[in-house]
Amino acid sequence: MLKLIVQRLLALVPLLFIVSVLTFSFTSLLPSDPVDLIIGDAGTQQQYEMVRERLGLNEPVHLRYLQWLGRAVQGDLGSSFFNSVSVMGAVMQRLPVTLSLTAMSALIAILIGVAAGVAAALRPRSWVDRFATLGATFGQAVPNFWFGLILVAIFAVNLRWFPATGFTPLTESPWEWLRSVILPSIALGTSSSAAIARQVRSAMVGVLQQDYIRAARAQGLPFRRVIFRHALTNALVPVVAVLSFQITVLLGGALIVEQVFAINGLGTLAIAAVRQQDIPMLQGLVLVMVGLVVTVQLATDILYGLLNPKARPS
Amino acid sequence: MTSKPDTLSPAGPVRARSRLNGAHIVTSVAAAVLVLLAFLAVFADWVAPYDPLRQSLMEALQGPSAAHWLGTDDLGRDVLSRLIHGCRIAVIAAAEATTIAVLLGVPIGLFIGYRGGVWDWIVMRIVEAVVSIPGIMVAIAIIAILGAGLHRAMIALGILFSTSFLRLARGVVLAEREEVYVRSARVIGASDRRILMRHIFPNIAPPLIVQVTLTVGAVLLAEAGLSFIGLGVQPPQASWGTMLNTAAAFMDFNWFLSVPPGIAIILTVLSVNLLGDVLRDSIGRGIAVETRPETPAARFAAAPGAAEPVVLPRRADEVLRVENLQVMVPAPGGEVPVITDLSFSIARGETLGLVGESGSGKTLTGLAILGLLGAGVRATHGAILLNGQDLRALSPRQIEQVRGNEVAMVFQDPTTSLNPAFTVGSQIAEVLRVKQGLNRAQAWARAVELIDRVGIPRPEERARAYPHELSGGMAQRIAIARALSCNPSLLIADEPTTALDVTVQQEILDLFRDLQAEFGMAILFVTHDLAVAADICDRISVMYAGEMVEMAGVDALFADPRHPYTAGLLHAMPHASDRMPPLPTIRGNVPRPGDWPSGCRFSDRCDFRVAACDARIPLLGRERLVRCIRAGELELEAAS
Repeated sequence: MLKLIVQRLLALVPLLFIVSVLTFSFTSLLPSDPVDLIIGDAGTQQQYEMVRERLGLNEPVHLRYLQWLGRAVQGDLGSSFFNSVSVMGAVMQRLPVTLSLTAMSALIAILIGVAAGVAAALRPRSWVDRFATLGATFGQAVPNFWFGLILVAIFAVNLRWFPATGFTPLTESPWEWLRSVILPSIALGTSSSAAIARQVRSAMVGVLQQDYIRAARAQGLPFRRVIFRHALTNALVPVVAVLSFQITVLLGGALIVEQVFAINGLGTLAIAAVRQQDIPMLQGLVLVMVGLVVTVQLATDILYGLLNPKARPS
Repeated sequence: MTSKPDTLSPAGPVRARSRLNGAHIVTSVAAAVLVLLAFLAVFADWVAPYDPLRQSLMEALQGPSAAHWLGTDDLGRDVLSRLIHGCRIAVIAAAEATTIAVLLGVPIGLFIGYRGGVWDWIVMRIVEAVVSIPGIMVAIAIIAILGAGLHRAMIALGILFSTSFLRLARGVVLAEREEVYVRSARVIGASDRRILMRHIFPNIAPPLIVQVTLTVGAVLLAEAGLSFIGLGVQPPQASWGTMLNTAAAFMDFNWFLSVPPGIAIILTVLSVNLLGDVLRDSIGRGIAVETRPETPAARFAAAPGAAEPVVLPRRADEVLRVENLQVMVPAPGGEVPVITDLSFSIARGETLGLVGESGSGKTLTGLAILGLLGAGVRATHGAILLNGQDLRALSPRQIEQVRGNEVAMVFQDPTTSLNPAFTVGSQIAEVLRVKQGLNRAQAWARAVELIDRVGIPRPEERARAYPHELSGGMAQRIAIARALSCNPSLLIADEPTTALDVTVQQEILDLFRDLQAEFGMAILFVTHDLAVAADICDRISVMYAGEMVEMAGVDALFADPRHPYTAGLLHAMPHASDRMPPLPTIRGNVPRPGDWPSGCRFSDRCDFRVAACDARIPLLGRERLVRCIRAGELELEAAS
């Protein structure tokens, strides 16, 4: 298992290198001069030179990259062009918000997806099966932020069961936290749950035809045990393989759904950064997101290895 | 909707036809939606009842009315007019981003796929990096460089979605590059450019078209999302995304504002995706395997229910007694029998061979005993008495108790009959815990003992192995150990040696004999291999087309076959000593269930057929049973 983890970590090195180069070159790709962005229109030539020196823009590009990378590895992503707050601080402050949303919607997507997928596989052409198929078709066509708006209209504006906007940190009040993330998480997670249900269903249908399922039943093991232990463990293998992709989609979706519920997460930060061409902030956001995605990938890889002994290097 | 299905025609075709119509209707609606969209996009200025930008603050945030069918927004602009003008934005957005994605992705993909090497490596790592970031974040980052606005946002989306076209084109090139015709083109000196254009590009077209439909749907959603967060289309221009942005701000005052643009997006994307599915299916149809024509379920003549009298003598130490078993499988137009009037018994410590070609119903017999026939297949007649208890009469829960404890089964392929996710030891221990109530430690210790008993060296260590880490022979020993873990009185072995090497086969057969001597269980040994049956069985029952045609002790059967089919099987047996004369085979094939002749089911393939064979043939005899009216007169050759 350790070997698998080390292998995966090593495989990340080229990816992270490319990401860091792409992210770093952001500054150079920008049509406007970052120094102008900082000092504004009223800046003098002297100020210009000073800021330029401070940003290290006079040094050769590869040196600048190494310095930037060295600081980034230590968690120093520079400070915002716009209000010179620490990028790392700003991102870390918003991270729990977006993570809450992503984690909760992933939980909803996985729980509903697996349950519906198993039910559909056990009873092909039943209402669960049809519903999952229909859900997957619609899930690909319904914008999650629009679904969020409709949820707000029904459950917040009309029924007043949940707050329409805002976010309560988990540490402040777990109950209020749950109330504040439940609608956005449903908006985000529903289409993924349908997609996961489709995958679980097809994997499960295949596994149920396997000899070892028939053998387990021939051995007199209880039906539920055969389904949930023997069949599901194997059916989840291909599902886990694409789970990190689904979670990446959810993370991206969270950026937009946050806007529906006026939640101050990474999405809000990103939109403000784009409007202000706040390059260090965007760099920080991209790096943090890549970090998240890579962590999720690593986690699903390990889960994959746990579920599928054949994937473990011997 | 109102027309009733024709009650006279059979249910199947009607349902199939209505399903076809259903799909056809959906496709037509989807196409109509897209045609309407295109029409509105082109003629928005004429069709829209108002100027989409005309403000009228006196009429702000109104609900639907005769003057404003879909109401008005916060600035009193007509929602319907804005929706119609939004169609134009949607079409432009989809066309722009998709075109950019194709023009960027396909050439680069073709190039790196064809060239390979360092370019391929670098570009693919960049693609990997890009797809590891959430797509919307990539788009946001590109917009940070380019600036907001419809066209710039679409360039961003074009770059984002080009990765999928790049990978698609590269994949096709990598697959085609090694094809013979491409290599031969290279040999005759065609230029790279020519090869790419003439030989490889045509193969990209079909998957490309499918990918385009997928991308168009995704672009529409992404454009709406970007416009919604204010980075795409800029106000006051009317797009569905910006309309939703406005709606979000005024949820408390007029939530209806969010409905029309949402429906427009869903309908459009749904239509694009559905047409994409149809397109994918029709492109895929060229390589689709033609489905087998369905068998008519007509010719079965024997009246079900009119069972033959049981000819089995009752024996004192009987473990299993099967009487007049009939099994039906679902078929178009009803059910057809696959096993009819099957009766046999097995005594304690006895091995009965069930021999026949595939399709004779021998495996189903084993599954019928276990009550595991599978969806739609059912035993309709007869009794299955295990130690005097009729298994057919048991509830699912009761038969679950019987399985494992009193009857167990060993399957053909040991590598697939063990669960790949668990260690082999834990799979034996699980049975012991569930069926016998042992605790974890006891069950594990007993599992290791059993693994030792079936002749596996270093059992402690092997118990911790996963199935894929064991050889076929070793895995089959594990499967046997698991089957015997609860000491069942009947063991069903379904071709347990067929998937194994010849040298291993003998060892497994010896193991069966050995274990039977120790545990004393009765064995139902299902095989198509007469040599194996001769080795292990006490008696052999020959099955043909769902019924028993002959049953005798091993020596008697081999020395003096009474049924022409048995004689044919014996002649078809390979002998190691003389391979020179080609193996005789029985001409023709086993008829499929539903196609059985009404008389002797073997008559179509029999050299001794007479007119009387067209009548139903009974199974006759006492110690030896044979189902052939000419059994007494034929001089059949014994095995050489």
